Parts: sequence; C-alpha cells; structure tokens
Amino acid sequence: MNKTISLVAALMMVSAGVSAQSFDEAFNAQRAMYGKGHSFTFEGQTYTTDHPEEVAAAVEANADNAAKLLAAAKDQHAQVAAVDFGWTLTKNLLKASAKALASGDFRKSMDISAQAQYHARMGMVQYHQSQKEWVMAVPE
Amino acid sequence: MKIIKSLLAGASLALVASVSQAATSGNTLATVDPEADRLALQSYFQKRFPKVAVSDYVNGIYALDAPSREQWQEIEEFPPYEFDVEEGEELFNTPFANGNSYADCFDNGGIGIRQNFPRWDEGQGQIVTLELAINQCREANGEKALGWKKGKIAKVSAYMAYTSRDNVFDLQIPNDEAKAAYLDGKQSFYARRGQLNMSCANCHVAGANILIRADLPGPTLGHVTHFPVFRSKWGELGTLQRRYGGCQKNVRGTPQKTQGEKFRNLEFFQTYMSNGLVVNGPGARK
Repeated sequence: MNKTISLVAALMMVSAGVSAQSFDEAFNAQRAMYGKGHSFTFEGQTYTTDHPEEVAAAVEANADNAAKLLAAAKDQHAQVAAVDFGWTLTKNLLKASAKALASGDFRKSMDISAQAQYHARMGMVQYHQSQKEWVMAVPE
Repeated sequence: MKIIKSLLAGASLALVASVSQAATSGNTLATVDPEADRLALQSYFQKRFPKVAVSDYVNGIYALDAPSREQWQEIEEFPPYEFDVEEGEELFNTPFANGNSYADCFDNGGIGIRQNFPRWDEGQGQIVTLELAINQCREANGEKALGWKKGKIAKVSAYMAYTSRDNVFDLQIPNDEAKAAYLDGKQSFYARRGQLNMSCANCHVAGANILIRADLPGPTLGHVTHFPVFRSKWGELGTLQRRYGGCQKNVRGTPQKTQGEKFRNLEFFQTYMSNGLVVNGPGARK
C-alpha cells in the first residue's frame, strides 16, 4: 500500500516537474531574479527581461515622446478603470509623469509612464484571468 | 527514505484534496446553486475548525483564536459602540422636517429587521442594503442623503442592528435577477484583484486564522452579522462597505464604489453565506 502511494506521488511529482515552463513563467522568474535589462535564453532564443512598456520608453527622451508615452499610459489606465480593476498606484504615477513632463524632465516622465502603463496592462490581464479562474477558488 | 515516502504521500494527498475541493461549476446562472454554496462553505470551515460551532462564527476571528477572544471579551465589558447605539436611537426617532421618521419607511417600524437586509427589491430591480434603504428613506422624505461609510448612517444602522440581535438571517433569492446579483457577488468575492493579486477569499476563506503580518483575518462565515462595527483602528463606527473599500485598498486595488452595484451584490452574496446565523451587530473589532 505504501509503495503504491509512493509510486502515485512520485509520478505526480515527476509529471509536474517535466511539464514545460511557459515563456511567461520563464520571463517572470528571470525578471524577479535579475530585474530589467537582463538577457536570458528560452527555447534557443535570447530575450531580455524588459517589459514592453520599458522597451517603448527606451527611445530618445524628448517632449514629443514623453507626451506620447503619457497618453498611451492614460489610455491603458482608462481601459482598466472601465472594468473596475485599477491598481492604486497608477493614478499617482500618471500625475508624477505629467509633472515631470511639465518640468522638462522627459526621461523621468517616460520611465514613470512606462511603469503606469505596465500597472494598467497587468490590471487588464488580471481582470481577464480572474473572469476565467475565480470559480476554481470556490470550496465545493 | 521513510521520510521521503511520507512527504511524497502527503504531497499527493494534498494535491488530490485541493483538486477535489475546487468548484468546476456554479459560475453561470444555470449552474449556480446558492444553498449548495452556503453548505459547502460551512462544511469547509467545519472541517478546518471542527471544534468551533457554526453558531459561534458570528464572533468572527474571536470564534477561532482564543487569545484574541479573551481580549475582545474584555473590550465588550464596556462596548465602545454603546454611545453610538444610543445616538443612533436618537437619530432614528427624530422626525424629519415633514414630520415622518425612519419608522415610517420600514416594516415593523424599523425595529428588529436587520436580518432582512440586503434584499432583492422587485420594484427597483436591484439589491437594497440597509444603508441604502436608510438613505432612500431620507430622500423620500425630503432629507439629504447621509455619507455611506461612517457617522450618522453607521449609527442609525447600528441601532437597527442592535434591535435585531438574535434574529436569524434568512435571505431569499426570489428570481433569476436576484440570482444573477448573487452570482455577481460570488464572483467578486472569489476574483483576485489589486497589485497584490488577492481576492476576499484569499484572506477570509483559505487565509482565515492565518497570520498576515500581525493580523489574523476572520472567516467569511458570520462576517456580516456583526456590522456595523467599532474598529479600534478607525477609532469609530463604520459600515461593512467601508471595510470592503479598505480591504480593496489593502491589496492595492482601486476601491469600487461604496453602495454601487458591485458592493451591494457582494454584500448580498456574503450575507446569504451567513443565512442561519443570528444578527449580533454592532460589534467591536481590532
């Protein structure tokens, strides 16, 4: 009996261990360990740990680019606010970005906009995920 | 080797148990079964805390944690909400400018009716909480609505709860529209939100009586029975939906609208889960 239980358990553990890691899992693990700007390999390809918003912000810091990034962040925030899944820091980040833009600190504004847009995008991801998965948390 | 085997056996059982406890239906109007949900939730807590009587869940975390209960019982010797109840009674009995009063708006003159809220209102086509009914009463009598979270509305609500103590919650879901509101509340309760990616259930089902820093979250069963509460952190009385907003902020989510449809549906779901328990509000909490 003990052997049977151990075998079942071992099979379950092994099957869990060999299941392929998704790109998102690999990205998140690398990002958590090394932060942004780090390179890693996934299925033979090389990637960086930068979020798309950070990539978009890695352009020349000028008034036009800063204004575009802020507008994009505001737009993304409006989308997540419309489904009531906003995060608390986003509004203040948008304000801080606008303030930096107004004072001519374009790099700061662009970096903060990238962060705000990331928050808003992840809020949307969370919204869609929670619509699908919430029922799995219900005791039965 | 024996230890490894035991660990493997434990892990396999835990995996099987977690799968068997998760629901795979009940997320649509066709499959949702409120009574089955309520019994499943009760059963969940009974399995986790077999020595705690279901009726004791009205005391929240104090039903589960003995040291906290001891402190709370000492607080209850001189209840911090006592003056608020008295003030609530005075407000309740003070006539509006048109000569009517709150008593004219509610069944039984507003006495002993807390257990009937929130309820599905056929005419309005929505869930009506006690606080919403209080403000609707005021507006129908030409008075300004009160703020939702604290102050006068919490005091009137506290008085009405006080007159309802020991009355049993028995919310009804009379039609599919009410059931849809229940389902919406259920989804809100179990959906993760905020930057910390947490749901109500994370703290108040799976996380009940498990330390989050220095705090022990209470079980959702019986959560609503003791509201409004005098919270030591607030230093004053507050409504259930004030607490909802606080919880959502705690997980770094933008709070939903107080007394908006989402929060009213959430309150409806949560109260339905406590059907069969008695009103014991107002309460005192940390």
